[in-house]
Amino acid sequence: MQEASFLILTALAGSSQHGYGIVTDVAQISGGKVQLKAGTLYTALDRLSADGLIEPDREEIVDNRLRRYYRITRDGAERLADEADRLRANAHAALTRLRPGVAIS
Amino acid sequence: MTDHSPLERRYRRWLALYPKSFRAEHEDEMVAVLMQGAGPDQTHPRLSEAVDLARHGLRRRASARRFPSRWERQHANVMFPVRILIALWLCFISAVLIGFHRAELWLLLTVPAILLHLYIAYRIRPGAAPR
Repeated sequence: MQEASFLILTALAGSSQHGYGIVTDVAQISGGKVQLKAGTLYTALDRLSADGLIEPDREEIVDNRLRRYYRITRDGAERLADEADRLRANAHAALTRLRPGVAIS
Repeated sequence: MTDHSPLERRYRRWLALYPKSFRAEHEDEMVAVLMQGAGPDQTHPRLSEAVDLARHGLRRRASARRFPSRWERQHANVMFPVRILIALWLCFISAVLIGFHRAELWLLLTVPAILLHLYIAYRIRPGAAPR
């Protein structure tokens, strides 16, 4: 899973959000490291929808602008949990080898 | 489509690079995201935004036309080096043509062909996302 998709699913795991909400949330989650651009964001959202990991939730018009909210699906939550486990295992292996003999709890 | 600010019109012009079906689905939400991310005095899309829209829009258009083909993607381990070799061979041919025949006009043909092969190689490069 690409980092952008992982962060988008993480943002939506909290609550359903619209496009710009996802952009700001992903920036916060990543400590400002990942600033999603519109093209990247909607390529990822379209892909995640096609794979059934997210789905459109509701639509609002604010200041004459369309806000379509997306929410994570059950499949999406499972994939995110699997991916998070995988990343944790990798990170654990890296930290263990960097400090041999030191157990990491 | 009335009363769009100049900035919004410019964003929509870049969004026109996407295929129609994608725009019907996402154009208005994308404009909303772009406009919310714009600074108060901004009148033009930032270069990084324009590049991002062009990259994703053109890629979308290309994959809507099944380009590069599914077959080529599946045989990328063979076709990637083949595309690179063809590009190098075309470079060599171009150099020969210029060197011996002073036929720079051929470059009009060979340079786009070289770029096309390199682009396909880039799209099917090892480790590229499947779509």
